[in-house]
Amino acid sequence: MKYVIIGNGIAGIQAAESIRQIDSRGGITIIGDETFTPYCRPMISLVLEGAIPTEKLAIRGADFYEKLNIEPVLGKRVTHIDVDARQVIIDDTPKGGKKNHFSYDKLLIATGADARPIKAEGLSLGNIFYMRGQAHVCDMLESLSGGKKALVLGGGLVGFKAAYGLMKRGFEVTMLIKSGYPLSMQIDEAGGKLVLKELVRHGLKVMVGAEVKAFEGNGRVREAYLSDGSVLQCDIVIIGKGVLPSLSFVPRDQVRVDLGIVVDQHLETSSSGIFAAGDVAEYVDIARKTPWVNAIWPEAVNQGRLAGMNMAGRKVAYKGSLSRNVIRIFDVDVMTCGVVEPPDDPGYQVISKIDPHKNFYRKLVFRNDVLVGLVMVNDIDQGGLLVSLIQSETPIKISGETMLKPNFNYKQLLKF
Amino acid sequence: MKKVVVHPERCVGCMQCMVACATAHSRSGNLFSAICEVPLPKPRVHVGVGLYGEGFPNRCRHCDPAPCMLACLPGAIYRNAEFETVMIDSDKCINCASCAMACPFGVIRYHEDMHAPPKQVVAVKCDNCIDRQAKGLVPACVEACKSSALTFETTSDALKRKTNEVARSVSIETGKIVVAPGFNLLNAAKKAQINLKAM
Ligand SMILES: Cc1cc2nc3c(=O)[nH]c(=O)nc-3n(C[C@H](O)[C@H](O)[C@H](O)COP(=O)(O)OP(=O)(O)OC[C@H]3O[C@@H](n4cnc5c(N)ncnc54)[C@H](O)[C@@H]3O)c2cc1C
Repeated sequence: MKYVIIGNGIAGIQAAESIRQIDSRGGITIIGDETFTPYCRPMISLVLEGAIPTEKLAIRGADFYEKLNIEPVLGKRVTHIDVDARQVIIDDTPKGGKKNHFSYDKLLIATGADARPIKAEGLSLGNIFYMRGQAHVCDMLESLSGGKKALVLGGGLVGFKAAYGLMKRGFEVTMLIKSGYPLSMQIDEAGGKLVLKELVRHGLKVMVGAEVKAFEGNGRVREAYLSDGSVLQCDIVIIGKGVLPSLSFVPRDQVRVDLGIVVDQHLETSSSGIFAAGDVAEYVDIARKTPWVNAIWPEAVNQGRLAGMNMAGRKVAYKGSLSRNVIRIFDVDVMTCGVVEPPDDPGYQVISKIDPHKNFYRKLVFRNDVLVGLVMVNDIDQGGLLVSLIQSETPIKISGETMLKPNFNYKQLLKF
Repeated sequence: MKKVVVHPERCVGCMQCMVACATAHSRSGNLFSAICEVPLPKPRVHVGVGLYGEGFPNRCRHCDPAPCMLACLPGAIYRNAEFETVMIDSDKCINCASCAMACPFGVIRYHEDMHAPPKQVVAVKCDNCIDRQAKGLVPACVEACKSSALTFETTSDALKRKTNEVARSVSIETGKIVVAPGFNLLNAAKKAQINLKAM
């Protein structure tokens, strides 16, 4: 059996590991754009913040490929898949015995996502960054010295983490966001306002609604011109306007693509023998009950692992993905999961409890008797319990009020 | 392989397992000196209170595959094969709480610990007392439990005993145990603590 995996992010790595557990002899080739030892992408913001050195990003040993007997083809991009000939083609001219195409019996597309590009003049100036990989952060670190003012575009997870990191570095940070509070895709308004309050208390400036039209500077960015006519001084700009699945090389006439690559319960695409996992894949969201791309680390891990098993012949069904996140910001902990702003529909019930003095907030969203969403601000230790109830769609028999209390615990779900 | 088995129906909520656990994970290993240590040793088993005030010693199930291990960002959670135990490497832990979001039992806590770098908050949970086990001792929570709500035995022994108990219960008429008035299953201190925490 010949396996080819495109992408050496966590989904690709997990898939390779689970293939090896089942099939010790099959050939595995991983083609990846990045040449670093497998590393933890979400942790790059900790490097920006100065909390950890780059060496701590690695989550596998330098001998990872060798140990699992994997052929690594790193620093190369896949440009094309020839579905009929069962081949993957990379952007390299074949020379000296090196080939530019790889045959497969089973193929995994685990190419993740790319930062969503923005349109503005002067984007080619220095010190304007996207933040997706280790290389981006290494470049940022080099341009931090002497800078005082930072501009962050977007209040999503990445924009938010960039802003937090730069604040910790002592930058005066301005964040441009669309909705009135950051993380609006993850959190509801009440929770978002608590997060905003904490950030503002530590000096973050937030501008709502404005967008950048143009950047100016002399080689390096100095000023940003906004749609509302104002001008902002900035020594560094980070663009965090979300991500888009990285799938430009996928033949859409042969592999079904929606926002992401559509997969079935075995992580297989519409084209037999081709699988997809991670930020690039789209499957049903457990809480939303609709096809969804949940571009988050724990799902990339799950999907990669299950895709690998299925590729190696062990049929394992994937139940569906679930959006979720946990973040610690200064002294506030936030956990969110599933549907946090339910549609206006009598099938949904929302209960919540807020104590602004203790910075405690908890909101639970039910659809009939099943928990489908939660927002927790502080007292998050037991959050996994609630998340697992959402994941397993367990009908809830106890009162919602009990689950809102900070001391809610596992015992309260037990019958005896 | 012996494991800690939890019998929730026997727990009287005395929380002695918590004290024993904290002591076993202290620098001195002695209760009276442990309470003066910095950081203050904390338990890894947690007696949660049920809907009717009954206790339940909640501890790590050392799942396989372990959701916390899969979710851990820095790869700090690993399995000790010899003791079938899920462990956290506190030097690698970044206190991101990804494991809190993954654990379906809510057994992970975040605080300073004598094994972690000084002044650093890390994820802490049950390690099956593998240091004690290596010395031939049973886990501290089991040793402390007076009501046999925590036992240390092989899974097959535990299953056999349970089967016998079920068999006995069908042949003997077992009614509800009448509890003397004033007898309360939940320890008073725990009650006070709950009342304080419940807002
Ligand atoms: C700053 C930041 C913070 C984050 N924080 C969190 C968080 O707190 N919690 C959370 O759950 N998630 C977080 N995420 C998201 C998380 O990192 C992703 O969900 C996860 O990394 C997805 O893994 P993946 O393997 O699917 O894709 P990726 O990690 O993107 O890996 C895909 C790999 O494929 C390569 N590739 C792409 N196209 C090609 C091609 N054509 N040929 C060859 N190789 C290719 C890429 O270079 C990349 O190395 C964060 C992301 C960022 C950037």
